[in-house]
Amino acid sequence: MIEVTGLRVVRPPDTVALDGVDLTITVGEFVVILGRSGAGKTTFLRAINRLVEPTAGTIRVDGRDVTGAGPARLRSVRRRIGMVFQQFNLVRRATVLDNVLAGRLGYAAQLPSLIGRFAGSDRVVALDCLDAVGLGHLARRRADTLSGGEQQRVAIARALAQTPAVILADEPTASLDPQLTTTIMDILRDINADRGLTIVVSQHQLEVALRYAHRIVGFRAGRLCFDGPPSAVTPAVVREIYDDGSAA
Amino acid sequence: MTRAPLFVAVVVLAWLVWDTSADPVALARGLPWMFEFFRRMFPPDFSVLPSAAVAAVRTVEIALLGTTVAAVLALPLGFVSARNVAAPALFYPARGVLNLFRSVDTLVYALVFVAAVGLGPFPGVLAVVAYTTTSLAKLYSEAIEGIDPGPVDAITATGATRLQVLRFGVLPQVLPLFLSYVLYRLETNIRAATVLGFVGAGGIGFYLQTYLRMIDYSAAATVLLVTVAMVMIVDFVSSKLRARLI
Repeated sequence: MIEVTGLRVVRPPDTVALDGVDLTITVGEFVVILGRSGAGKTTFLRAINRLVEPTAGTIRVDGRDVTGAGPARLRSVRRRIGMVFQQFNLVRRATVLDNVLAGRLGYAAQLPSLIGRFAGSDRVVALDCLDAVGLGHLARRRADTLSGGEQQRVAIARALAQTPAVILADEPTASLDPQLTTTIMDILRDINADRGLTIVVSQHQLEVALRYAHRIVGFRAGRLCFDGPPSAVTPAVVREIYDDGSAA
Repeated sequence: MTRAPLFVAVVVLAWLVWDTSADPVALARGLPWMFEFFRRMFPPDFSVLPSAAVAAVRTVEIALLGTTVAAVLALPLGFVSARNVAAPALFYPARGVLNLFRSVDTLVYALVFVAAVGLGPFPGVLAVVAYTTTSLAKLYSEAIEGIDPGPVDAITATGATRLQVLRFGVLPQVLPLFLSYVLYRLETNIRAATVLGFVGAGGIGFYLQTYLRMIDYSAAATVLLVTVAMVMIVDFVSSKLRARLI
């Protein structure tokens, strides 16, 4: 589903964010990425749909090249990759439904969409996705009137509206309290179980990661330092991921 | 050491006073004349009120039409002048053009357009458009540069085109600011339009200048009162509208 080889990302002038990452994620996996701040989790997720431009390496998603794709091909690959962000990234002044409809932009005819016109079928998909996260009754509300947990559910509905093959979630619960963390992670798990979508989530909470993941991937200083099932995450592995080396 | 800047400032100010022939004594000598000027304005001659009112409405029309046209023309210019959405190949030339045209004031444009299309309100409208388009484009571009990049990332990630990203990720964030800037520009353009008549570009300034030249101060007083009332009314309406936008 996601095949990454030799991925390297250097930010100008010479900050190495990712330093040669190889990772293959298969269809239907629920992968949680662990790592300290600055280990490369966010850069890795954002490189998969090329919100961050890779410096070297190749990325394939759903059997299609992401690296090297021209603008039109890149857009058509992005349609299949839903993304959820730590700060929700909703358009605050727009309604909940309009935010979810944005997930249909990759499929909508460009000119009508620019004056806010969407096909009836796009509206049906958007409303279905809102119902799927349990917020169908808030469709007409302005996005910034919702609580943080509700906004993140709207953001998940927007990603679902893309009818994606993969959902990438970059620290989706870092701005939420423990109870809402459970709500959001449960929704992602249900999407994974019921729809068979591949899910890749970065998490800073170890316990949450172990509870939900099929597979844990650890990043350290821009490289993979662990890859295995939650049951293989021993205290030594945790130290390998999180220790800065000074205590040893 | 800390006194050096102060010393430089005093020297510069002293030089400015000398070079501009600033002379408090001359101002004091002129005071009686100013009182005489105001004394002759009373009582105002209200027989010129109808023509002054018509000219005031014409002035508002010049500002309103000019600002509206400029608000639309400034949209594409604003986007190509915003560092975070425009390609560098567009951004740098656009910024250059904006700074060039903005360095000339509305009144100077009016002189040019009166020469080009003749006397009347039309060159006034053109002058307002010329200055306001570039100044609004600059304000627009700064609003665009200040947006939250998060929604832009989110819309980009859906597979949207560049235009769709602008329409759904950028425009909703900046539209209320744009409208607020347009209203603010309308207020300043009303003031600018009052003096457009001085150079023959229509509106109430023409009457003010004419009565002053004819030394008919009581008629000029009426025109001034109408001008003040007009500016206050437009400011009031505009500020009410702006308050509702935020």
